[in-house]
Amino acid sequence: MGNSAMGDLSSQLRVALHRVQDWAYPDQIDHEAFRAYMKTSHDVGGEPDAPALFEDKEEEQWELNTFVTCEVLGWRGIWTSEERRRIGNVDLGRTNYLGLPYYGRWLWAIARCLVDKRHITLGELIERVSEVRERYVDGTGGPVDATPRATGDTEAVPRNRHHREAVGKGDPQCFSGTGGTPGFAVGDEVVVRELPTIFYTRTQEYLRGKRGTVAKVSYESLAPEDEAFDREDQEPEWFYIVRFRMADLWEAYTGCATDTLQAEISERWLRRAA
Amino acid sequence: MAETDLGGSGHDTHEHAGTAPMVEEVTDFEVLEIALRELAIEKGLFTAEDHRRYTEHVEQLEPAAGSRFVAKAWLDPDFRQLALDDAIAASQEMGVDWLHPTGFGTPSDFTAFEVLEDTPTVHHVIVCTLCSCYPRPILGMSPEWYRTPNYRRRIVRWPRQVLAEFGLYLPEDVEIRVEDSNSKHRFMVLPVRPAGTEGWSEAQLAEIVTRDCLIGVALPKPGVTTNATRPLHPARRPVAGD
Repeated sequence: MGNSAMGDLSSQLRVALHRVQDWAYPDQIDHEAFRAYMKTSHDVGGEPDAPALFEDKEEEQWELNTFVTCEVLGWRGIWTSEERRRIGNVDLGRTNYLGLPYYGRWLWAIARCLVDKRHITLGELIERVSEVRERYVDGTGGPVDATPRATGDTEAVPRNRHHREAVGKGDPQCFSGTGGTPGFAVGDEVVVRELPTIFYTRTQEYLRGKRGTVAKVSYESLAPEDEAFDREDQEPEWFYIVRFRMADLWEAYTGCATDTLQAEISERWLRRAA
Repeated sequence: MAETDLGGSGHDTHEHAGTAPMVEEVTDFEVLEIALRELAIEKGLFTAEDHRRYTEHVEQLEPAAGSRFVAKAWLDPDFRQLALDDAIAASQEMGVDWLHPTGFGTPSDFTAFEVLEDTPTVHHVIVCTLCSCYPRPILGMSPEWYRTPNYRRRIVRWPRQVLAEFGLYLPEDVEIRVEDSNSKHRFMVLPVRPAGTEGWSEAQLAEIVTRDCLIGVALPKPGVTTNATRPLHPARRPVAGD
């Protein structure tokens, strides 16, 4: 399918698409292919896909437990939700992103965060997983649930500033007054910058280089590129809801000329339209 | 592996005909989830009580709060204005405190909320193309289809086709405005009050404001009080009490 304004390569990336040989030689990866490999796996907007049956799903107990653990880790300052999104939606790679269940990736993110931030060792995790599996080797025989052996010393754990500083204010309100003067105002014509994608962003590829109008000056916040890597030392900036015409986003848009799309973009990604 | 139940009846799909019940295997996800929660509690990252309290918070969330919010906005012009100017304050009036349960909001939903008002010539629909951002404090957990790459890929590029798949056919004089909630704002649609509801009470109106209407893939209609029936993929070990 060659009708994508962004280029279809990412959505069709399979190693065998290019060559049966693994690990291309450096001279075999041109700029377009490099960009496709570097594209963050969560950024799926506009990728061609066939109509499918929209389904509902009953929730597994482990899925709810996983969701709650992720939120509690945020509540208690072990990570921000943006770190979770970076780890569980992008770091794990395209194959796992599209292959694992939704909450399977949330679970993956917990494991990765706890090991990366040195709260547990990988050895501890491997041993515990093996031990839990042993418990149920003859079937469940009752409820399946965690049975912690002890309650750890919560005071001894390193935690982020955010989970304390945002109390009583909320997020993004906790960053209010720290972003300086907004660079844009409602009604300003802006263009989304075409910056390279490296590791993480929340500025969608389908908006890059596109012209839109500022519809709302939103709030100040750390940029996702900083928040996702636990960089509380960085400066917050202004965010804007920008309105785009669908016909400007998609070549041969098949809807109506008046159709629009809005997204919320941080100041570093915007420049004034010429 | 359980197959999707196209009839939508839910449970009892993992029985094995003619034999004693099979030993229920514990899945890799269950094992990993238990191991991580045990280690996190043992290391003092959080307490079992934290986990229990947050679970309670999640279990009381439901889209009914959003339905009542819209019904009130239809009946009360002052509330409607408040909803458009400060949706967090309007939520508070409806008993939804976005700062709960941590004092700074839920870590994943943040505390920036915006109501998108439909008009006879503008229709909003919500997506998060990057993950599954959704206003959980007022609508509860997102439906499975909302999280799928398929919905996220297509609604931003072929919105009229995708809405048609939900049974929503919009005329050409209605502008579709897709809201890609890719940052900290969360959104909910305030649909146009349909004809045929004159004189209705707030409770009556709330009944026709289904979750799908609040996402923007359906319009409220007298007589329609549930989301469209979709195939239901059952859980092997569903949430207790479900």
